[in-house]
Amino acid sequence: MEAVLQVPRRSFVREWVLTVDHKKIGIMYGVTALFFFLIGGLFALLVRTDLLSYKGVFDAQSYNEFFTMHATVMVFLVIIPMLMGAFANYLVPLQVGARDMAFPRMNALSYWLYFVGGITILLSMVYGMPDSGWTAYPPYSLTSQGPGMDFFVMAIHIVGLSSILGAINIIVTVHRMRAPGMTWNRLPLFVWSTLVTAYMQLFATPALAGAVTTLLLDRHFGTVFYDSSAGGDPMMYQHLFWFYSHPAVYIMILPAFGIISEVIPVFARKPIFGYHAIAYSSVAIGFLGFFVWAHHMFVAGMQMSAGIPFMISSLVIAVPTSVKIFNWLATMWRGAVEYTVPMMYASLGFIGSFIIGGFSGTIVAAVPLDMHLHDTYFVVAHIHYVLFGGAVMCIMAGIHFWFPKLTGRMYNEKLGYLGFWLYFIGTQVTFFPMHLVGLAGMPRRIASYAPIFQTWNQVATIGSYILGLGTIIILYNLMISAKYGRKVGHNPWHARTLEWTVSSPPPEHNFDEIPVVTDSPYRPYKPEELTASKESA
Amino acid sequence: MSSSSWLPVQLTSMAHNVDLLFYIMLGIITFFFVLVEVLLITFLIRYRRSAKNQVGVNVHGNNVLETVWTLIPALILVFMGAYSVRYVYEAQNPPAKPLVIEVIGHEWFWEFKYPNGLDTHNDLRIPAGQNVLFDIHSADVIHGFYIPEARIQQDALPGRITQFWVNVDAKDVGKQFQVPCDQFCGAGHPIMVGQMTVMSPDDFNTWMQTELQKQQAKS
Ligand code: HEM
Ligand SMILES: [Cu+2]
Ligand SMILES: [Cu+2]
Repeated sequence: MEAVLQVPRRSFVREWVLTVDHKKIGIMYGVTALFFFLIGGLFALLVRTDLLSYKGVFDAQSYNEFFTMHATVMVFLVIIPMLMGAFANYLVPLQVGARDMAFPRMNALSYWLYFVGGITILLSMVYGMPDSGWTAYPPYSLTSQGPGMDFFVMAIHIVGLSSILGAINIIVTVHRMRAPGMTWNRLPLFVWSTLVTAYMQLFATPALAGAVTTLLLDRHFGTVFYDSSAGGDPMMYQHLFWFYSHPAVYIMILPAFGIISEVIPVFARKPIFGYHAIAYSSVAIGFLGFFVWAHHMFVAGMQMSAGIPFMISSLVIAVPTSVKIFNWLATMWRGAVEYTVPMMYASLGFIGSFIIGGFSGTIVAAVPLDMHLHDTYFVVAHIHYVLFGGAVMCIMAGIHFWFPKLTGRMYNEKLGYLGFWLYFIGTQVTFFPMHLVGLAGMPRRIASYAPIFQTWNQVATIGSYILGLGTIIILYNLMISAKYGRKVGHNPWHARTLEWTVSSPPPEHNFDEIPVVTDSPYRPYKPEELTASKESA
Repeated sequence: MSSSSWLPVQLTSMAHNVDLLFYIMLGIITFFFVLVEVLLITFLIRYRRSAKNQVGVNVHGNNVLETVWTLIPALILVFMGAYSVRYVYEAQNPPAKPLVIEVIGHEWFWEFKYPNGLDTHNDLRIPAGQNVLFDIHSADVIHGFYIPEARIQQDALPGRITQFWVNVDAKDVGKQFQVPCDQFCGAGHPIMVGQMTVMSPDDFNTWMQTELQKQQAKS
């Protein structure tokens, strides 16, 4: 007899479909993004399976559809919605001490737009998948047959709109709805990072909309934006695309950095080291992120020397990133580090892997080296160390960290560690060898390849199966623990941000009384407070 | 054949320079990689929580440290950038009086046009010890003309000409290399691979002439 208070049950439709509660919308985003993570993962496994043999297992056309779907789903339907839809939605109002987002209905709209965009991509699996890579460069994307490209364009439009609405909501919420006493200097670092990200989404996404709209016009309405025989210029598309997509790579990592800044101090039981440095470096990244886009185009037809300013800006943007790394390390220094599952993801998982992606980024940012490495597997290795070793590790850290808040229950720790180790090992086995074949000149996006590259490709494929297994275990753990996990109090980790002051899961309007903030969430720990509050509430 | 998992053979002195740059950068990042990983592992082990209510020390930051780890990476990164600039101009500016070979990407093969009018498909031959300039463009979608052994590539675009030049060492005469398309261009992308043969200048000229005659005899 657990239920003390009998709340009349609301129908599923009322409870979820019609909800405007940011927490429920956040959970809906999260569950949807995890579903797409499985779809995107499945395509990844198909891609890797094809590469088991140098001759390729599938035909080239199918392979092209697989890698296009994989990247499109992962970027637009998994990482961005997971970080900015699920995490930011759930956490920002709670962490700033507000009862909801500034515009709850618009929030619901942005979820449902995302949902419809996702369905559009799923429909393309029935009616014909896009095959031009997630970058969809014309003229190839113009000549691409079947409705796949059109589904792609529609989906990008819808998801892009969703992302702009979500960004507006976060910006207004953070600026206008902070609880009394929640000054900028007390703002949790996760909120700082999502605020910067939201601004980036707001300013960058329209460029993407422009890029894909012109594709659509060229495909169906006779315009010649990208038809060079009629005076158009395909390079224009690449500029527009990367003017969005380079900021987008930071949209995919800044909120993830924010998660790390919350997780590490809690498990090191120390104030975060260099609060201001971390907050301002996010702002710096947000700003600089708009000045590096052409580093994706060093060999795309620009004059080589025109790449130099972009090389310098790309190298400079590595500085605020390394500042964060050193601050996180310094937070662990002389701390009292507990090896919980979220901490494992944040420390070894994220810092340990992500730096490899950061370093390979500086390699490809050097124009002369990119002349060799562009469009090879080296870039694929780089992308995945930042997106898998970076963003996905942070997402997993965050999911395990806030799981008790969402559900009031703890995940199974044994399965949690198992999932972590599979992810950690799988990441290295899958992605490290890609550096090696990339250096040797293996081009990316190929369904078959020179036999000399086969061994390392097989290693990578085995790694991807390890990651697949890890994913199943992690999701299984979350599912059973949500139902059967050990019950925990409102703050099992002794964390300090405001969401931990309310019950788990939090009440409908978050705070019965709007809290008055008197201190930073990163104040030092005292031994007394730990023994007193453990397992209370 | 190139080795399968590290930089391929160096065909040109520029490839040599690029590799040097790569090894310098690799050295620097390996140093920092080891530094960060060692700190990470050390802190994880050394500061492991041993008592339930143990807490960390009360420090919020340190401006000197903050400045140090901002400035040092900044200086090193800017050094890397500045050091690279020279190579960019070296690669960009073609030397005087090069032999010009026109490269045209098609779905899905490479077409090469030689100065005497000879026209081949996927068969690229270049004379060693001479400056060879590639004028690259595409007949349809974007392709990527890439010579891994020369450490250089440029996209082949419709309606725009891109260029790069090579000067292949004499020691490589007689060797063959693959020139893959590395910009995604559709179903034939993986099989869009040209064969590059390095010849002595004399052999190259003879080959160009006889091939041209064969071609003319056929048509
Ligand atoms: C130290 C900071 C970084 C630098 C200097 C850097 C540099 C670069 C450069 C120069 C390229 C283009 C390489 C090429 O196509 O030849 C690239 C590609 C890419 N980077 Fe980074 N990067 C950094 C961090 C990141 C982060 C944090 C992310 C994402 C979370 C990211 C995601 C990507 C992606 C997705 C691509 C490939 C896009 C594509 O062609 O499909 N990078 N990076
Ligand atoms: Cu091609
Ligand atoms: Cu190609």
